[in-house]
Amino acid sequence: MAVIDHDAELAKAGANVHGWIGALLFFVRRYPLGAIGAVIMALFVATALFADQISTFDPFTTNARVSLARPGGEHVLGADFMGRDVFARIVYGARISLAVGVGATALGCIIGVTIGLMSGFFGGWFDLLVQRLMDIMQSLPLLVMALVMAASLGPSLSNTIIAIAIPLVPNVARIIRSNTLSLREMPFVEAARAIGMSETRIAVVHVLPNTLAPLIVLATAQLGSAILVESALAFLGLGVPEPHPSWGRMLSESAAEYVRTAPWLVIFPGVAISAVVFGTNLFGDALRDLLDPRQRI
Amino acid sequence: MRSKLAFAVALSIAAPGLVATPVLAQKQGGTLRVYHRDNLPSGSIHEEATISTVQPFMGVFNNLVLFDQQKPLNTPETIIPDLADSWAWDATKTKLTFKLHPDVKWHDGKPFTAKDVQCTWNKLTGKDPDDFRKNPRAIWWQNLKEVTVNGDLEATFVLNRPQPSFLSMFASGYTPVYPCHVSTKDMRTNPIGTGPFKFVELKRGDSVKFVRNPDYWKKGKPYLDGIDWKVIENRSTRVLAFVAGEFDMTFGTDITIPLLKDINSQAPQAICELAPSYVSINLIINPKAAPFNDPTIRKAMALALDRKTFIDILSNGKDDISGVMLPPPEGVWGMPPEMLAALPGYSTDIEKSRAEARKIMEGLGYSESKVLKVKVATRNISVYRDPAVILIDQLKKVYIDGELEVVDTSIWHAKVTRGDYSVGLNLTGVSVDDPDVNLYENYSCNSERNLTQYCNKDVDALIDKQSQETDFDKRKKIVWEIERKLAEDLARPIINYQRLATCWQPQVKGFVLHRNSIYNNWRYEDVWLDK
Amino acid sequence: MGAYIVRRLLLMLVTLIGMSILIFVMLRLVPGNITDIIFDSAGFVNPAQKKKIERQLGLDQPIAVQYVNWIGGLMRGDLGYAYVSEKPAIEEIVPRIPVTAKLAALALIFSTLFGVPLGVLSAVRQNTWLDYVLRVFSLSGLSLPAFWLGLLILMACVHWFGWIPIYRSTPDSPWQELALLCIPAAAVGFRSSALVMRLTRSSMLEVLRQDYIRTARAKGASETAVNYDHALRNAVLPVVTIIGIEAAFLIGGLIVTETVFNIPGVARFLVEAIRWRDYPIVQNLVMFIAIIVVFVNFAIDMMYAVLDPRIKYEE
Repeated sequence: MAVIDHDAELAKAGANVHGWIGALLFFVRRYPLGAIGAVIMALFVATALFADQISTFDPFTTNARVSLARPGGEHVLGADFMGRDVFARIVYGARISLAVGVGATALGCIIGVTIGLMSGFFGGWFDLLVQRLMDIMQSLPLLVMALVMAASLGPSLSNTIIAIAIPLVPNVARIIRSNTLSLREMPFVEAARAIGMSETRIAVVHVLPNTLAPLIVLATAQLGSAILVESALAFLGLGVPEPHPSWGRMLSESAAEYVRTAPWLVIFPGVAISAVVFGTNLFGDALRDLLDPRQRI
Repeated sequence: MRSKLAFAVALSIAAPGLVATPVLAQKQGGTLRVYHRDNLPSGSIHEEATISTVQPFMGVFNNLVLFDQQKPLNTPETIIPDLADSWAWDATKTKLTFKLHPDVKWHDGKPFTAKDVQCTWNKLTGKDPDDFRKNPRAIWWQNLKEVTVNGDLEATFVLNRPQPSFLSMFASGYTPVYPCHVSTKDMRTNPIGTGPFKFVELKRGDSVKFVRNPDYWKKGKPYLDGIDWKVIENRSTRVLAFVAGEFDMTFGTDITIPLLKDINSQAPQAICELAPSYVSINLIINPKAAPFNDPTIRKAMALALDRKTFIDILSNGKDDISGVMLPPPEGVWGMPPEMLAALPGYSTDIEKSRAEARKIMEGLGYSESKVLKVKVATRNISVYRDPAVILIDQLKKVYIDGELEVVDTSIWHAKVTRGDYSVGLNLTGVSVDDPDVNLYENYSCNSERNLTQYCNKDVDALIDKQSQETDFDKRKKIVWEIERKLAEDLARPIINYQRLATCWQPQVKGFVLHRNSIYNNWRYEDVWLDK
Repeated sequence: MGAYIVRRLLLMLVTLIGMSILIFVMLRLVPGNITDIIFDSAGFVNPAQKKKIERQLGLDQPIAVQYVNWIGGLMRGDLGYAYVSEKPAIEEIVPRIPVTAKLAALALIFSTLFGVPLGVLSAVRQNTWLDYVLRVFSLSGLSLPAFWLGLLILMACVHWFGWIPIYRSTPDSPWQELALLCIPAAAVGFRSSALVMRLTRSSMLEVLRQDYIRTARAKGASETAVNYDHALRNAVLPVVTIIGIEAAFLIGGLIVTETVFNIPGVARFLVEAIRWRDYPIVQNLVMFIAIIVVFVNFAIDMMYAVLDPRIKYEE
């Protein structure tokens, strides 16, 4: 089926690829930083999924008596102005960051892959038009584009996901398109055409799997960007609205009033964002070294 | 002999100065540095309804009369002359004639005459083709039939019926006198007044500058050379800057209770005063949106409110529970606490009220497993959001599951006016402690500022009745009757009136904070810097 | 080559026109427009007065007509009138540019001064502990939200020095202004320097692998000479690209940093204008940013052509 045999490549590199355990150990030994990144990401996902179990408080209950409580005691990371537990808000905030980060990246990839494949395969006017559209979208930095879109669509969780996903599309589309262009001239594709396979089937069955490697690498990098942009949007007041506990918005609220009186409100949400993005980047770097050395940075 | 005479002469000259010592102690000079907290919508006071415009720009203008800037409480007794040297009602109490001060010039040199008074009020009542783009206080002047002038120095206001509170509306910072010869558009970007300070420039998001009017008709004033406002939108930053000595004064009412503690500890030399802001946090319920057209559900919501918790969280217990009018001691029309506690929804026994509310809800078919889902709309700024979050928490106790719907600040009023909401949390500012201002603006049938479009003909009749009542005690009783009706109808339940602080450095002298309004205090003509 | 330039310029024009249409339409999808904001500060909405203002501002005309008016104005150099301040948009935008330009320049200097040598160091000492430390350091720089870094710096200033860097539009001296700008520039520059470090490292590594380096080594040149003479000179080209990529990266950082440090620059103005639905300002600013990004990319490509004769431009 596919021409590029990853298992053979890995074996050449000296991996003992008998089973998943072997592959995993190989990964950890070869890319220790990447393994750390993977662990951080796994923690992040686990926190988001098991938020109810992890946190003793819920992030919405207000309690005047513990307003601006310092970290320690009942409220491990302290409490905010309305007495809401900071640890709970960070744990539940992981859900929002995960939803927006993964949602926006996934949406951007799906749209980008579709456009890139179609563009690479059909060529002609469609390709030209799409190229120009991608050019236009890339003429603005990610934050600016997301800012204008978020303002246009209005504050809501789904709108934020869309606002971040759309600017991510051009990068994906470009890579998929260039891969498609080079792959579509390959012998095995010619062979498939010769036996009468439709273009669509060729695209999905033959071309797409071989573009997966660079796509995964790109997606991991974009995940980090998506989380950062979501927090920046929330900080500027245009991101996910109440009552969802967003890390970025926690920072904007605390920065507005409590920089001196309650610094823990400024430190912890920021640590959360940085840790998650750091983990994503570490993992993404290792993944790129492994899967697509051409893109090495 | 001659020396004794000389001494007597000298004494007689010096004596008035010795008696009026405060007047002589003021120092001329210095620029007052104040910070501004957000972007000014425009420089035209008549077109805006926010302290963001009034505070900086009140110094550019004069009114006909003004609440004494040196007395902390605004009452009809503290109204003093400004552009009008004297005024008198006629026998029918429907004609108010002002005698104007002579030789007053506008900042561009043109002379001030009674025609300018007529122009201003023609614009306010829509009689002038170049009228205001927005006219938030049109309802104040609904009883004004016309303004006539008699020469250059006399203007008469003709009313349709007697209104004892009429004069108070002239005394507010919201009622400056505008020139005839400047268009309303220019008044927004480059306002011309007769006041102690001239407008210099407005750099959006950065600064607003005013400079002393050397030809001010009140000789010797102002004492300041100018006022510089710097815009800092982040509250932490601007408070830190004040503490560090970058500013002489904070923006009026900018300091919340938690910040007050911070300033007191970091800058103990600063003088801070906490005062009611006459801004209420209130609940708006759309009577046309099902199921809230059912008055029993509205009652259940009102019974769920625990005002004390709001106040504890938002202000460490310092805010005031109140009805529609500001409560005593600062408010002269407010109900005493015992009377307030008897109003529906104000009981101090929260558990009992909530139990009653739950029974009401159960009667309508709701329970712990079957809750009423509702969206609670509010503006996307923290001073609105925080109380909304608390409200949702409290509604949970009576089987109402509220979901916060933050509305972009720019479309809030449009959305509410359209009726595109069920429940909302709102803030309302009142500029003069007078029922004519508060009740007409917010609760009368034909007021544009009546957000919920609450309309009760009986209440309207009562409001008109108290507006014409000259006896203070009788009037107060009618106002209290209106309060009761408004509480029963749940017209716009007031959760609490905020108390906020203003701080200034010790070198700022001559400034007296008003305690029952935040909109009338900013002429700055008596303020001086002791440097 | 000449034909290539002409084609590129035409494509850039198409891109910019497309962006202008896109931003124009997107802004008008916005729920609520400037008239709502104008009334917001008055505390109520009067539909009749609202219609009057809309007519005054030309908002009641069909979108296509409004678009043509705007573009026509741009050709004449007339950016339209800001809705909120009622002054010509150009008078609002232009005075804010110098501050942002100074901040951006300082940030670029900071990031290049910091990022390039460290990137070179990291490449040259590849896979040593120094390399790992630097790589982790640069990666963490990319993981910090820019506004959080700014907040931390602000908090540090307040807690340790009891002082807050407030930008003054009329500084006592140009040195004081630059000194005050250094702190936010460090916040913006830190992230950019991380990017520069990583890109420099990777391009250095590429170059070090190249044949002609091997040749130089074979010819007996010393290690130092190889590194700093041959390698660096050939790594300059990618560094130029890096600075081009950085430009887009920088703009995002400027937006949040100007907000945190309360600097009245053009980046923060964009956010404010979006909040106020001040269409003329937002449209013009977005076009301004798009033009910068597009031209910087073009300039980078041209520099490539000039600096590296190996690159051919056929399409």
